[in-house]
Amino acid sequence: MKIKWFDLLLFILPAFFLYTIFVVYPFISSIYLSLFNWVGVGAKKYVGLKNFFDVLFGSFKGEFFNAFWHNIYFFTLVSIIEVSLGFIIALGLATQIKGYHIFRSIVYLPNVISMVLVGFIWGLILNPQIGLVNQFLKVIGLGSFTRPWLGDPSLAFNTIIAVNIWRHLGFYVLVMLAAIINIQPDFIEAAYIDGASNWDIVKNVIIPLTIPTAQTLILLLFIWSFSVFELVYALEGVQAGPFRSTDVLGTLFYRTAFGGLGSGRMDLGLGAAIVTLMFIVILPISFIYVRLVERRRI
Amino acid sequence: MYVWLKGEEFKMLKLSKRSKIIVFILFILYSIIVLVPFLNIVMNSFKNLSEIFLAPFSPPTQLRWENYREAWSKANLGIGYLNSLIISSFSVIGILIISSMMAFILSRYRFPLRRALYLYIIAGLAFPARLAIIPIFLMLRDVGLLNSRLGLILLYIGTGVPFSVFLLKNFLDEVPGELEESAQIDGASPWTIFRKIDLPLIKPALVVVAIVNFVSVWNDFFFPLILISDRSKETIPLAVSVFYGEYANQWHLLSTALWLAVVPIMVIYAFMSREFISGMTQGAVK
Repeated sequence: MKIKWFDLLLFILPAFFLYTIFVVYPFISSIYLSLFNWVGVGAKKYVGLKNFFDVLFGSFKGEFFNAFWHNIYFFTLVSIIEVSLGFIIALGLATQIKGYHIFRSIVYLPNVISMVLVGFIWGLILNPQIGLVNQFLKVIGLGSFTRPWLGDPSLAFNTIIAVNIWRHLGFYVLVMLAAIINIQPDFIEAAYIDGASNWDIVKNVIIPLTIPTAQTLILLLFIWSFSVFELVYALEGVQAGPFRSTDVLGTLFYRTAFGGLGSGRMDLGLGAAIVTLMFIVILPISFIYVRLVERRRI
Repeated sequence: MYVWLKGEEFKMLKLSKRSKIIVFILFILYSIIVLVPFLNIVMNSFKNLSEIFLAPFSPPTQLRWENYREAWSKANLGIGYLNSLIISSFSVIGILIISSMMAFILSRYRFPLRRALYLYIIAGLAFPARLAIIPIFLMLRDVGLLNSRLGLILLYIGTGVPFSVFLLKNFLDEVPGELEESAQIDGASPWTIFRKIDLPLIKPALVVVAIVNFVSVWNDFFFPLILISDRSKETIPLAVSVFYGEYANQWHLLSTALWLAVVPIMVIYAFMSREFISGMTQGAVK
C-alpha cells in the first residue's frame, strides 16, 4: 500500500524519537564521553584515549581484567549448563508427562520474579549460620558440607552462578521445548516405524534440528552476560566481595561511574570507557544476532 | 507464531511406563527446588525471629499478621506499590501506542528506507540499554527529570520499543493485508485503517507485549537504583533493597517484605502463564 510522507512520519516519529533519544543517542554519547575526564559537574577535560590506556594497560588494568574474566567465566559456565540442561529438561517435558501444564508453569516461574529480589531471597537461604541450605545439610547428616557459600572467595562466584541458573533455567527449557515441538511429528513417527530407539531419535533427529536454536541462545547469553549486575549487587554488594572475587564489569562500572565507597576512582569518563569496551566486545555478536533476527523473521 | 502454544497435542517421545514414572519424579524434585525459596519466605513471614532461627523447617505455630503490618510500613511498600503501578502502567500504555503505530507502518506499507528503519529498531534487541546509563543519567538530570516518575516512564517507553515493534510487526506480517487494501480503495485514511482494522487484528499480540513490558518494568531495579534517590519516588524493588540494607537481621520482616513484593506478579502469572511464556520466550529466539 502507499502512504503520504506526512502520514508516514506521523506514525513512525513517536517511536523513532523516543528510541533514538533513550537508546541510540546514549550509546553514541557514551563513546564520546569516554574521551574525557569528568565527575559530572564542572568542565570536562579532554584526555583522548587515556581512559582506555588506563583500563587496558595502566593503573586500572587489574580491576578491569579481574571483572572481565569473571564475565567470560560466567558466560562459559552458564551457557554450557543452561543450554544443555535446558535441552534435557525440555525433552522430559516433550514426553507429555502427566501434569505437563503445571510443570511447565513451575519451571518458568522464577523468570517472572525480579532479579534483585531473587538475590535477596537467596541471600537469606545461603546465610552460613542460619540459612536453609546449611541447616538442611546439618539435618540430613552432611554437616561437614556446610560452607560460607557467599563468604568464601573460591565459592562465592559459583554460588552466584548457581542462583542465576535457578532464576533463568526455565527460559532455556521453554525455548528448547518450542524448538523440539516445531519438529515435524512425521519425522519422528517415521523413525519409530523404522525401529529407531528413543536415543536414536534424540541423537539423529532432535539434536540436529534444535542446534540452530541453541546457537541463537548462546549468542544471546553472550550479550546478556555483560549486563550481569543485580545478583552480585544483592548478594555481595557493590564492592563485589569477598575481595572482589565476584566483581563483574557491571559492578565495576557502577562503582566507577556512580561511586560507592572504596571505588578505585570515580569518573564518568572512565566509566564510559569501560562501557565502550563492553560495547566493542559484544558488537560482533550483536551484529550476527540482528542479522539472524531479520532473516529468520522469528 | 503461537503454534506451539496452541497445538499442544504433540507426542514427541514415547516412553515405557517405568521411565515415565522416573521422569515424573524428577520433575517433582525440580518443582521442589523452584518452590522451596518461596515457601521459605512465606513461612518466615508468619514466624518471629526465634522461631525462624530455632525451627527453620517447622511450619509457623501461629499466624503473626503483625509482621505484615510492620513490614508494609517500615519497608515503604505502600509508596512502592503506588509508584511501581503508575510507572509500569503508563510505560505499557505508551509502548503499546507508539510501537503498534510503528509496526503497522513497517508491516503494511512499502517506502524507501523501510528495511533500514526496521534494522535500526531491532538493533536495540542486541544491546542492553543499561550499558548506556551514563548519558541517560546526565540527560535526565539536565532536563530536571531525575528523581521523577515521568523520566522513568519515558525511558522505559524508549527502551521497550525494539522488542515491541519486533513482536507486533511479525504478528502483522502473518496476517494478509487484503482488508486494508480494499479499505484504502474505499478512501479510508491510514489512521482509520490502523484503528478500525489493524488494532483489533493484533489484539492477542498486544496482550503479550503489554504483559512482557509490564513485568520487565515492574521488576526493574537497575534504572531506579541510579535515577531515583527520593524515597517518595521509589519502586517496589528499590524499596525492598533499602529495607534489606536497614533491617539486615530482622528476618521475619525481610521475608514478609520480600513475599509482599513478589506476590502480585506471582498471582498475575498464575492466571496468565500462557501469555507470559509465549511473549517472553518468543521475543528473543525461535
